[in-house]
Amino acid sequence: MRKERSLWSDAFNRIVKDKISLISLIIVVIYTLIALLVSMGVIASDWQEIVGPEYAPPSAEYWLGTDFLGRDVLRKTLYGTKVAMSVGLFTCMIAIPVGIFLGSIAGYFGGIIDEIVVWFYTTFSSIPGIILLISISFVLGKGLTAVYIALGATSWVHLCRLVRGEVIKHKNRDYVQAVTAIGGGHWKKLFVHILPNIFHIVIINASLLFQVAIKSEVILSYLGIGVQAVPSWGKMIDDARSELNNDVWWQLFGATIAMFFIVLAFNILGDALRDALDPKLKGKES
Amino acid sequence: MQIFQYSLRRLLYLIPVMLGVSFLVFFLFNVVAGDPTPLLLGKNASAAQVAELREQLGLNKSFLAQYLDIVKSAFTFDFGRSWATQQQISDIISQRAWPSLTLTLPAFLISSILSILISLVVSFYRGKGLDISIRVLCIALMSISSLVYIIIGQKFLAAEWELFEISGYEEGFPYFVPYIILPVIIWVVLSLGPDIRFFRTVILDEVYQDYVRTARAKGLSEKVIFLRHVLRNAMVPMITYFVIQLPFLIMGSLLLENYFDIPGLGSEVVRAANSNDFPVLKAFSILFSVAYIVFNLITDILYAVVDPRIKLQ
Amino acid sequence: MKKFFMPLVLSMFMITTSCTKSDSAKVKADGSLEKVLNIVVGAKVKGFDPNQASDRYSGNEVARIYEGLLQFHYLKRPYELVPNLAESMPEVSSDGLTYTFKIKKGVMFHDNACFPNGKGRELTAEDFVYSIKRMADPREQSKGWWLIDGKIKGLNAWKEKSGKADKTDYSEKLEGIQAIDKYTLKFVLSKPFPQFLYSLAMPFTYAVPKEAVQKYGKEFINNPVGTGPFITGKYTQANKIVYTKNPNYRDEFYPTQGAPGDKERGLLKDAGKKIPLVDKLVVKIMTEEQTRWLNFKKGKLDSMSIPTEEFANVMIPGKGLSDSFKKQGIVERKVVGLDVTYNAFNHEHELFKNNKKLRQAMSSAFDRDSYNKKFYQGVSLAAQSVVPPNIAGHIMNFKGPYQNFNVEQAKKLLSEAGFPDGNGLPEITLHYTYSTKSRQMAEVFQQNMSKIGIKIKPTGVTWPELVKLVNTKQTMMFSMAWGADYPDAENFLQLLYSKNSAPGANGSNYSNPEFDKMFEKAAIMSDSPERTALYEKMYKFAAEEVPWVIGFHRVTYGLIHGWVENSKSIEFDHGMAKYKNINMAKKADLLKKL
Repeated sequence: MRKERSLWSDAFNRIVKDKISLISLIIVVIYTLIALLVSMGVIASDWQEIVGPEYAPPSAEYWLGTDFLGRDVLRKTLYGTKVAMSVGLFTCMIAIPVGIFLGSIAGYFGGIIDEIVVWFYTTFSSIPGIILLISISFVLGKGLTAVYIALGATSWVHLCRLVRGEVIKHKNRDYVQAVTAIGGGHWKKLFVHILPNIFHIVIINASLLFQVAIKSEVILSYLGIGVQAVPSWGKMIDDARSELNNDVWWQLFGATIAMFFIVLAFNILGDALRDALDPKLKGKES
Repeated sequence: MQIFQYSLRRLLYLIPVMLGVSFLVFFLFNVVAGDPTPLLLGKNASAAQVAELREQLGLNKSFLAQYLDIVKSAFTFDFGRSWATQQQISDIISQRAWPSLTLTLPAFLISSILSILISLVVSFYRGKGLDISIRVLCIALMSISSLVYIIIGQKFLAAEWELFEISGYEEGFPYFVPYIILPVIIWVVLSLGPDIRFFRTVILDEVYQDYVRTARAKGLSEKVIFLRHVLRNAMVPMITYFVIQLPFLIMGSLLLENYFDIPGLGSEVVRAANSNDFPVLKAFSILFSVAYIVFNLITDILYAVVDPRIKLQ
Repeated sequence: MKKFFMPLVLSMFMITTSCTKSDSAKVKADGSLEKVLNIVVGAKVKGFDPNQASDRYSGNEVARIYEGLLQFHYLKRPYELVPNLAESMPEVSSDGLTYTFKIKKGVMFHDNACFPNGKGRELTAEDFVYSIKRMADPREQSKGWWLIDGKIKGLNAWKEKSGKADKTDYSEKLEGIQAIDKYTLKFVLSKPFPQFLYSLAMPFTYAVPKEAVQKYGKEFINNPVGTGPFITGKYTQANKIVYTKNPNYRDEFYPTQGAPGDKERGLLKDAGKKIPLVDKLVVKIMTEEQTRWLNFKKGKLDSMSIPTEEFANVMIPGKGLSDSFKKQGIVERKVVGLDVTYNAFNHEHELFKNNKKLRQAMSSAFDRDSYNKKFYQGVSLAAQSVVPPNIAGHIMNFKGPYQNFNVEQAKKLLSEAGFPDGNGLPEITLHYTYSTKSRQMAEVFQQNMSKIGIKIKPTGVTWPELVKLVNTKQTMMFSMAWGADYPDAENFLQLLYSKNSAPGANGSNYSNPEFDKMFEKAAIMSDSPERTALYEKMYKFAAEEVPWVIGFHRVTYGLIHGWVENSKSIEFDHGMAKYKNINMAKKADLLKKL
């Protein structure tokens, strides 16, 4: 166990030392803070207010200009940050436990349980994701909750596969055998001993999952099955298609830039975490 | 012989998976959602008409019977008619698959070749400036929503600078060519990021294998090692990666087809989704699953053939 | 015929197009150039079964092939019914229940494999009996059944009986619709229905040959066989439908009379000539407005409605069409739609039930002017009540008391309703059919209401979902538009008749005994000054009652290339391509200027 702990602190040190990774981490923290502040109603709760003329370009007064109604694009972007972060977070919160649970029991117990889980995720991944998303939104109605569940339901498969594979590798390792020798039960072995050792896979996967979810929100909003009644980056980009013809670029700009940094940050963090945590790859990248 | 048994075993595995897919499709479209009356009868249908229609469509059948209907369609490919357009679904699919392929096939070929070439170069110069800048570029490219590429591409390359057609489609070669150039370019740009990253990892996985060290120790030049050994071994995961993508090509590209008014299967999915045309969505789910599973099977068998390290259990 | 709430506004306008430069005009056998009219539609065409022609696009395609007893006069306004397959207008009995038609002799169906030897046979009165019965056939599931439901004697009973039988029996004689002889057709209605004749001009009631339905079965929708001026082959869902002139078309002529001013506009140049005037129709399906616009500018399209985003460049405020378009011979055309848009309240929801003040408050808080500017370039008409202009029942210059944007009044009404500053009001869900534009429209409404403290939650759904929500009364508010099925105020006023509540046309479930009484009285009256007076009374009544937040009567502008002749905007466009003409010399000339 001690060895693993040093892996984590080592990873943390590596990320902090690497300037780009550190900046990425800071970006994630800032976005999280913005999302929290918006949730608490401290900022951007007045996004609906008309602050100026329609389609005012960015200026000292309106940093990101105004939209077709004269609403502040900056406020909409900030509100969209909350929506995006919550989509990422809840997708992870649904997909990760499901993926870990099914993947680990399949890998650990093998046999019929494994067969069932593999059958289950093969089935799930055979249906095109977009049709799954559409049909889930039909079932659950429209809105954020439906988006969380739909994205969560379509994104656990990859993690499940990975976890299953890792658990299979680990279950015969010495340290697990040692626990068996001292009489540890299955669940103890699985959750107390094996899982912490493969948790880095989860972390790496989560950072990728998070940004994929943010990107998916945009597509869902374009298809009209996304967030309702509140601003989101997806809706802003959707608006932009007609706006660009009148040279109104700031809504597209605001949403794209806001999205760019957070997705980039998660991408870099994902890479950095993999470099730092995945011993198999150590030394390859640099 | 072993390979034959293995293939047969995998082929039989199709059955439980198709049963599962049918069940999921049934659950989503028959049990929970699915009222065709607004579509089939128009807005002013009377209650009596609704009841008649449900009877005719078999919506009053038991769930088991409805489920078996779906299972049957998975094997016969007889999906009935669209609720929205009254057309035979098999006709819809055969008419729309072609426009999709005219877009996705060239796009897929170009992006695959380009990404393999680039990833070979960057992994050859791994750790150098070129490698790092291309890696950064890939991540940056991937951090922008695909919608943004489409919007910007259409606005500037097509509308503003008039380099390409804005949107539309003409049937038959070579009439469709001008319409697919821009979508193809956007597709290529969109897939370069993830493709290069993946191939680079695959190639580097091989570079650090023992046999490469041995080869190097033998004094073979880096170029020879790269082209003769590394590439050959990296081909397996690469081919897998390609074969797995094939079913997606038939499905077309939802966003590109929709934005560029290309009458393929992707835009048909959007149309079906926007009009709750469940039989079409069901048919697509099932067809795609079959394709997906079959191509998966092919890759697995390919793997087994090319790479004897895989145990044929 | 309810439609999407606004997303398709501009594309609803039919677009006529012409040859491209690349496929230059063909020379016919007699040495003249082949006249091709290329028509463009903005949405998928569902096929060619009159029974399924519930949307305007499919209806228009059906009407190129099939014909009905009656049609609207192409030029005269207000709209006037004239015979088409009927020899003359019918004899109507004094009780208004019996209609006797004489049918034209020698009308032949198109040659088709469904007939013996492939030769089209003559149309008879029996074909109408068959076609009307087919609308009631439970195995056909006609989308037009509502039109004649409960109105033709014996038909409902026959429908019910057929539903129980294993097979529909078309041979049974019905009192309500009979072929007296080969060319005489008699309808007997079960109750007076003054709008009945209008329904005979709608594609649902057009004549189909039994042989084709029997031969093609479910594929009848793709194998059109009619009597109309144009012929096409099997429909393949492609992006293009090509029609050729029916060589055996009977002698029909271009009208010799028009509305005032038509002569000056050159619309009577072809008066008395045999129709159709063009050799070929090419209907192209282009769902993207940008695609259509580009094709129009290249001269590949004769006409289209001006795209929203281009409006400011095309129509110069106060000056009309911009010079660059004028120079190319392009002319503009204003199209005033017979429609009304609205955000309806669900009157069965306790919040809106009997809370007139709340409804009035919301209507007063809706800023129609800026909405008009944002979404309709300021050219649409803010509706004052439910009936659109140009039909009897609409009152010119009438101002609805709550149709004016007035935040003070809205606030006052809101507090009188018991919700000062919106306190105590729950969040109100507004369902709308999703599109980018309709989302923005809903956002404007949301924003307007927030100004008086009302929280709106716009929720975009698909059209079938919206219909389902409305039909099962699960909405609080919903966005909708109604386009006229026929030019009679009854078609709009019925939207508020309590017996039409969901799942009927009155999706808002508005119910008011006083209104019902007036409606029931007017519904059986023939066109007369008394009926118009009653319509106007109901018009004012609705304005006071605010059953919905009434929006707009939409106005669009179309552009037409100079070479199209005889082009007049008509709300009921079914089959009117037969009157259009192309000036080939002018076309060759103008194409050079593009």
